[in-house]
Amino acid sequence: MAEKPDSKSPKSDSDAEFVCQPEVSALLRGALLELLQSRPEDPVGFLAEHFAHLSAEAEDGAAEHRSVSRALWHLSLAHHSHRSAFNSNVRVAYELLACGPSGGGVRGRLYSEMLRSLCSEGGLSGSTAAPLLRRIQSHDYECVPFQLFRQGVLTCAVFADYIRKSQCLYAAVASAPDRPAQRTLCQAVLSTLRDALDTADRTDAARYLEASAKISPAKVAQAMAEVHPPAQRRDGPTMDAQEFEDAAAALFIARVRTVT
Amino acid sequence: MSAKAVSCTIKSAVALQIGDAVSDSSRPGVYITDITLAEPVNIQEISFKNYYSAYLTVRLQRREDSSAKWVTCLRNYCLMSNPHAEAGSHDYFSIHRHQMLTEPDNVTTVRLILRQPSSEWLNFSIEEISIYPCAKEDLERDVPAWLSTLTPVEEPLDLNGLPDPETVSSSIQQMWALTEIMQASQTAASIGRFDVEGSYDVKLLSYT
Repeated sequence: MAEKPDSKSPKSDSDAEFVCQPEVSALLRGALLELLQSRPEDPVGFLAEHFAHLSAEAEDGAAEHRSVSRALWHLSLAHHSHRSAFNSNVRVAYELLACGPSGGGVRGRLYSEMLRSLCSEGGLSGSTAAPLLRRIQSHDYECVPFQLFRQGVLTCAVFADYIRKSQCLYAAVASAPDRPAQRTLCQAVLSTLRDALDTADRTDAARYLEASAKISPAKVAQAMAEVHPPAQRRDGPTMDAQEFEDAAAALFIARVRTVT
Repeated sequence: MSAKAVSCTIKSAVALQIGDAVSDSSRPGVYITDITLAEPVNIQEISFKNYYSAYLTVRLQRREDSSAKWVTCLRNYCLMSNPHAEAGSHDYFSIHRHQMLTEPDNVTTVRLILRQPSSEWLNFSIEEISIYPCAKEDLERDVPAWLSTLTPVEEPLDLNGLPDPETVSSSIQQMWALTEIMQASQTAASIGRFDVEGSYDVKLLSYT
């Protein structure tokens, strides 16, 4: 009984001493700050990856592939809607990939590779992402500045969400999960979205009000009822999920600025 | 009141004095200011800022069937309740159409007669004179087309067999919002693909 505290205390003393060392406490402080900023669902796993990356960085400074995967990991920490956390993660990723000596900026090859990985991690197939990537990726030899880097990363993240939403939309339009949706309904739904996106450029507030009036439930119901009169609800040509997704993607990609 | 003031020319005030203006040192108690209007106006109201004037008389010259007639529309309107005291000396006033004795229609000239019987004040006048015309009857505001179609009056639609509009609308709204986010984040930054030391190189353009 008297021995147990003795045998335990040296170990716990050395643990406590270890943590109290200034370098260790600085490391822990950095790790906790990152944890608080990103608030992942698996905090312990996050901390494990964080320390793994730190040790990899210590061993081997600039292995390119590793830096791309580290940058991707940082970008995965916050959803693009958490704007400030996302922005600071983009900054960290940019600095990981930037080539210091050659004038600051990410080399085109790394940038394009990162965009491709972002799209595939977001669940986008190669064929869906290809038209978008054609617009925003850079040539291998080009140097990408921060503004463009951030814009490209945000566009890919938002596009992944957009495609997921379009899949939900298709599911809502299809009358049953195993049956394809009516073509006329799909086209009506896509054209209401196109109308809202095409709202003329006035002041922001007026444009948002007008666009949201065009896609209100009443307007959508009216559009659907117009193309699908009660008599012919069951039959008619159908549109499959991939075609719908491609049409929706085209609406988004048409509004992405091509990089020059 | 959203109407804009009519443009007018305000002449400098003329003092009414007894005796020789040069040799007589007494201060005048009456100033007269004329305001000419570019074209005949139906006056809605006259607004101004007072500066130590006690009483105001307003006369209008109206154009009536090719003859010009002077009428008094305001007689000895009190601006300062006690001419010797400060009250009302710096106030803003607005004379509305229905306060006037006659209808101020087709007015070409406005004459303001200012009186200040007190010897307290060295000078008196009125400033920032604005004349507002009657608002047109058919003043239309641009009502956007989509605003008028917000509440449909027709009979309720038969939605049997159609997808749920709430779910569909919600998904469309989110897709619209995501596209707006993307568009809002677009910058004008460029890689400078076609730049050669700051300018375009035609040969590079032909390669792409």
